[in-house]
Amino acid sequence: MLDESADSFAEPSQPKLKTIPLKPIRDETQITAVDVSSMKIGETDVGILCAIRAAIVWKQKHLYRYLRLGPFPFHITEENKNEVYHLFRQYSFLEQPTLDYTGGLSLIYAPTRLGALLERWLQMSIATQTSNSLILWDGSLTAGTQDAPVAVISQLLEIARNRSNIVLAFTKATRLRLLGYLLTDYVHKCTSPCLLEISGYPMTLSTAIHLLGDIYVAKLSGGSCSFRLDVDRKLPQEKAVEATRRLIGNDVLQQSYPETLRLAHIYSTFTANEVIGIQRFLVQAHKLRIVTRPNVRKLLFGPFGKGLEN
Amino acid sequence: MRLYRKEGNTIHILCFPNESVEKGDYLQVEDPKQNKTLLIQVIDIQFASIPGIMEELLRDSTNNGDIVCGESLDPLDVASQITLIQDARLVVCKIRGTIQNEKLSVCSTWLPSRSQSVIGKLSTTALAALLKINDKLPIYVGETKEFSPLKVDATALDGRLNIVTGKKETGKSHFSKLLVLSLIDHGAPVLVLDLNGEYAHLGYTSDGKKNQHYTKIHVLTPASNFKVMLSQTKLRVMLNILVHALNLPGTSAREFRRIWRFLKEHTKLSLHELGEAIRNWQCNHHVKDALFSRYYALVNSGFFTDDPSETITLEDCFQEIRTGGAFVVNLRDISFVDRQIVVEYLLGKLVEMLTGWKLKAVFLFAEEAHLYLRETYWNDIVTRMRHFGVFTTFVTNQPDNIRENIYRQADNIFLFNFTNDRDLDTVSRAAKVDSETVRSIARDLPPHYCLLLGRIVKNFPMVVKVRALNVQTMGQTRLFFN
Repeated sequence: MLDESADSFAEPSQPKLKTIPLKPIRDETQITAVDVSSMKIGETDVGILCAIRAAIVWKQKHLYRYLRLGPFPFHITEENKNEVYHLFRQYSFLEQPTLDYTGGLSLIYAPTRLGALLERWLQMSIATQTSNSLILWDGSLTAGTQDAPVAVISQLLEIARNRSNIVLAFTKATRLRLLGYLLTDYVHKCTSPCLLEISGYPMTLSTAIHLLGDIYVAKLSGGSCSFRLDVDRKLPQEKAVEATRRLIGNDVLQQSYPETLRLAHIYSTFTANEVIGIQRFLVQAHKLRIVTRPNVRKLLFGPFGKGLEN
Repeated sequence: MRLYRKEGNTIHILCFPNESVEKGDYLQVEDPKQNKTLLIQVIDIQFASIPGIMEELLRDSTNNGDIVCGESLDPLDVASQITLIQDARLVVCKIRGTIQNEKLSVCSTWLPSRSQSVIGKLSTTALAALLKINDKLPIYVGETKEFSPLKVDATALDGRLNIVTGKKETGKSHFSKLLVLSLIDHGAPVLVLDLNGEYAHLGYTSDGKKNQHYTKIHVLTPASNFKVMLSQTKLRVMLNILVHALNLPGTSAREFRRIWRFLKEHTKLSLHELGEAIRNWQCNHHVKDALFSRYYALVNSGFFTDDPSETITLEDCFQEIRTGGAFVVNLRDISFVDRQIVVEYLLGKLVEMLTGWKLKAVFLFAEEAHLYLRETYWNDIVTRMRHFGVFTTFVTNQPDNIRENIYRQADNIFLFNFTNDRDLDTVSRAAKVDSETVRSIARDLPPHYCLLLGRIVKNFPMVVKVRALNVQTMGQTRLFFN
């Protein structure tokens, strides 16, 4: 999942807003979505236990099909974190990593980082194995972070483009603001289905962070929700609009969110029961001893200790 | 299995699906540090409350339709552990006692360790051995869940009030027949009030041949081979018949008493003379009419006769079965009023024989007693008559027809399946066991499985599959299509 690394467009940009009404195109275009969940499921004396699961959902001829990968449990320690991370990067990027990112890799963030690498690998697989499809990502097309280098994301989009696929990236909760207001607030009064085109903003949010997609606010069906939608910047705007029209013509939309992506999220998410099951698996199969650390906040503050315990 | 929670006398155990536990099973929670074992009985099995289970089931339920389908790639087979958690069970148990130094007591004032206790099953056979429930006069009632024979002690029925109940066709009549035959085998005299003619063929095997009980089973059919003379009958018994079975008003009863005494003084106590006496008696004509109508009811019942060759005496009958046997009084095909006449006579006669020590004791089996037993007899049977030596077993599929106080005083209850909540409510009032056990276990008993409660199992409820009998046991239900 790509993080939105800035809270607002850099000044002094003069962005323009334009509403684009949408008419559905029903042509049985294949829609494919991918989502990955990662979770810390416990601690051992020497490290953390985490699990990752991915789900790919695709809609073809009125049917939703899914492939669930995992859960993959990991025991990450200070000793093996580099090895694990490099293993993931090896399969996640087209190029071998040139930079050592692992020096600063904290165990706390390891589940998220590993999840992001798996997601990238799956996005790559989908982009190379499908054609003439809409590929839905959970997140944005903002690049420049450690796990989403500009080169890699650009290459992903290029492969998708070359195979006539179009990547549509949905951000569930955007933090991006325009003239002080959240992006999604601008579309409340528009009649659905529509896109709110935002133009005139810079392509970089900072020296490192680049926007590789055109940013829209999508209000694709009835209901109160709207989402930030990023579409590959290198595609003409007509193609982006057409892709969105094909999405609303071929997928079910609840509260403007595509069902395919919703299912991918549901199938990858861990329930509390699954966490217990994975813990049990690690204890039974690998004889790992899960330690329960005292909740310091609770110890110190009793009922007032409401913060998260890491 | 792990000890999870204790509330009152209820213990909750967590277990996985591969740990086979069923309702009615006994578990022992052994605390090695305290050197004691808590004996508990499973009364219910539920799914453990797992967080997130609802979301998981809802998510997976989308697989059932045609719209969403797919597969999971799980090379490490982690899902098997997740499924195990999904199927985790919460076993609800009741504390029954404590085993310490191989001795079982009903003490449950201690709590075993949650972390250290080891939980295992205790077979019904092992429990029966611990309880020593088959020491003296064993009755082989059937098989335990472990397919080993379960025997109970006939002496636990001696001097006791028993109830056999369950819904139709669950095997309660079969079980009461088993009890009858077992008591006979142990030399006990048995009287069966057979409403449907089901016990009449207990002396025959299922293929119609005479069995070992043939000479000990005597079928008495009122108005046929079971007739009595008025001279054999006490005035008190006759008045009971007239007042309770035939609703004779008090004034008329007083007049009848005079007539009876007159006839007895003149040694003319016969059916014919009674009719003549009523005809010629100087009294109010309403009283005379009332007496006549009851007189004709007695005559028409066919139960009373003036011919000595047609009569039998209960004293002689019980003499015949002094080494064990049963009299089956076939109440099938006789009217409600005639049935009441016969039962009033029998019970009155029994008390007479028992008070005169002509009979030591008798085991009375009463099927659907509400159909022939008057209201006032219920308390009489469970209190006064029990002291005389009438040890009753009520057999019914309508438990609400037996009064609550009967359940409270019942020493043994043989409970078959009930699904109706009202029936279970009624039975659960029995003092011998907690209502949750009755409700939960009885509801799921398969046909021919019986929950034994009370003294017979020393108050440790046990489930038994009642053994088959090679006797003609079926009630002769008339069928239209066959």
